[in-house]
Amino acid sequence: MLRELGALTRREFLKIRRNPQALFTSLLLPLLYLLLFGQGFNINPAAALPPGTPPLVAHQVLLDYFRGAPNYYSYFAAGMVGFVAVTATLFIGANVIFDKLFGIFKRTRGTPAPSAAVFGSRLIAGSAQPIALAFFVLGLALLFAHIPGLSGLRVTAQVSALGVVEVFLAIVLLSLMFATLFLTFGILLDVPQTYFAAVNLLNLPVLLTSDALYPWGSMPVWLRTISQYNPVSLAVNVLRETFFGAGQYPFGPGVYLLGLLGWTAVLMGIAIFLVSRALRPLE
Amino acid sequence: MSSRIGGAIVAEDLVKVYNGKVRAVDGVSFNVSPGEVFGFLGPNGAGKTTTVSMLSAGLRPTSGRAMIDGLEVSKDALEVKRRIGVIFQESTADGDLTGRENLEVAAGTYGIPRGEGNRRAEALIHQMQLSDAADRFAKTYSGGMRRRLELAVGLVHRPKILFLDEPTLGLDPQGRAGFWSFIQKLKDETGLTVFVTTHYLDEADTMCDRIAIIDHGKIVATGSPNELKDKLGGDVVTLKTAEGAADMSAVLKPLAGVVSLQKQDGSYRVKCASGETLVPLAVEACARAGAGVTGVTVKRPSLDEVFLEYTGREFREEEGPSATDRAVMMQRVRGALGGRR
Ligand SMILES: Nc1ncnc2c1ncn2[C@@H]1O[C@H](COP(=O)(O)OP(=O)(O)OP(=O)(O)O)[C@@H](O)[C@H]1O
Ligand SMILES: [Mg+2]
Repeated sequence: MLRELGALTRREFLKIRRNPQALFTSLLLPLLYLLLFGQGFNINPAAALPPGTPPLVAHQVLLDYFRGAPNYYSYFAAGMVGFVAVTATLFIGANVIFDKLFGIFKRTRGTPAPSAAVFGSRLIAGSAQPIALAFFVLGLALLFAHIPGLSGLRVTAQVSALGVVEVFLAIVLLSLMFATLFLTFGILLDVPQTYFAAVNLLNLPVLLTSDALYPWGSMPVWLRTISQYNPVSLAVNVLRETFFGAGQYPFGPGVYLLGLLGWTAVLMGIAIFLVSRALRPLE
Repeated sequence: MSSRIGGAIVAEDLVKVYNGKVRAVDGVSFNVSPGEVFGFLGPNGAGKTTTVSMLSAGLRPTSGRAMIDGLEVSKDALEVKRRIGVIFQESTADGDLTGRENLEVAAGTYGIPRGEGNRRAEALIHQMQLSDAADRFAKTYSGGMRRRLELAVGLVHRPKILFLDEPTLGLDPQGRAGFWSFIQKLKDETGLTVFVTTHYLDEADTMCDRIAIIDHGKIVATGSPNELKDKLGGDVVTLKTAEGAADMSAVLKPLAGVVSLQKQDGSYRVKCASGETLVPLAVEACARAGAGVTGVTVKRPSLDEVFLEYTGREFREEEGPSATDRAVMMQRVRGALGGRR
């Protein structure tokens, strides 16, 4: 099992290395968001307050609106990390479908390699990519805060070692969860168009029902309620609590991580059930 | 069909119905002995690839049973996969990987340890004469190199039984000869059993110990190439007599072994059991009757004739693209994409 997994994982990483364009493409969108959207869309609710509002009150308004973040960009940058973890997993299923079209998957299916190795190798390589990109985006947003003239992610809380671990776990779990989901789509579907239709159909509502991009203060109550269960929100909450303090959140990061783990476990369970059927030795 | 126990490949009344309506394989039975090269011939869409898929644990039969090396395929699929090598009709190598990487990954998928896998890869690269191209991306390979790489990948786990689905499709004559001499050598050295489908009948004639012809999902003839040719009624001898000679029909017809006779101008087309035996008799008989024979040709029927006899001569309109068309199309797509993804 381990040898098969090792060989197939090596193959997946070779593929990533041979196709740097794919990595670059998945980087492009978040980069545009970070560089253009985030810089241009820097809303400030305190600006609408009547003149003479005490600075402390104005500050509180800001904190309420951005759930503890000092400005929109900081709030949004944490959301972008979640966003990229989701969008960069799109390739994972598409790659399976292309491998089917090119006969490569048939070769793998012809070998006695267990389906767990086939699934696992793609999951490892396919979630490594979004994890790496999420950290890249995080690093970039932090860097921007130190470049004059640019908005960036400003960390306003004391970040502990545990906080760093929690951020790491949130990113890993979120990437793993969506990688599992999209990989399952890729294994079950045979036509690229169907795959992309399914993924887009899912992607947009997932992102738009999360609080990754909307300022918390602008969200209607019903959307806030829905967003609490959204896995992207769960991961982003962990980031925001770590970077800006947990004062505005009903639960600590541990609870959100648990929620994320629940999502991942459920999806993994469904995936294992469906994939082990789809990849049975004899179809 | 006799059901010899211990056949390397046994098909028992195999049936495959696609989507509840396309009866691609319709009750196929045969038995391939260990060490035999068994040819599976048939027109496009006859059901060859479908049969190979059922035998090689790729496709579950609708009914019937497939046995490989004494194992029932539907019950022991994984173990069957360990014992067989399959060269698919279409290319399956990964264009973004080098030939060597393709082989090393393939070895790993059979659980072969890394060091051993790398050694086997190197040996196969050498045997397949891919040394110069081993570290090039497979997408840059020519059609022939691709086929050789496919074969190498199929052999990396040292299978006892090899399935070749149109292995020489698109190869030049040297490529085909080289391919078969390698298979022959492998067979002599390791006692490999080979199940091969091909459209090149000359290849089947010289390489196969036994042949089955399948058409519309049913086996229509089985036997050694010579048996099949003999069944057609033997050889065709053409005799030419000197200009102005008398009609020899009455002289030739009663000779031993003659099946039928046609006269065209000054030449006679004689179908007979054996050309070699008839020729001296015929020449002598004509000479005695006063007509000098000025030319003789003996033609053994080729497998082409056997094939056409059993599968009909009309051109088949396929519904939808055949597997061959699909393979050729995918090669074009690959070419157009430059193997890029
Ligand atoms: N997956 C499938 N679904 C439906 N029909 C199929 C499928 N695969 C093959 N067929 C049909 O089954 C029949 C047999 O196909 P098969 O590929 O076994 O033929 P073949 O003898 O290998 O042909 P070729 O010489 O073109 O490779 C054909 O009519 C084909 O259209
Ligand atoms: Mg075929």
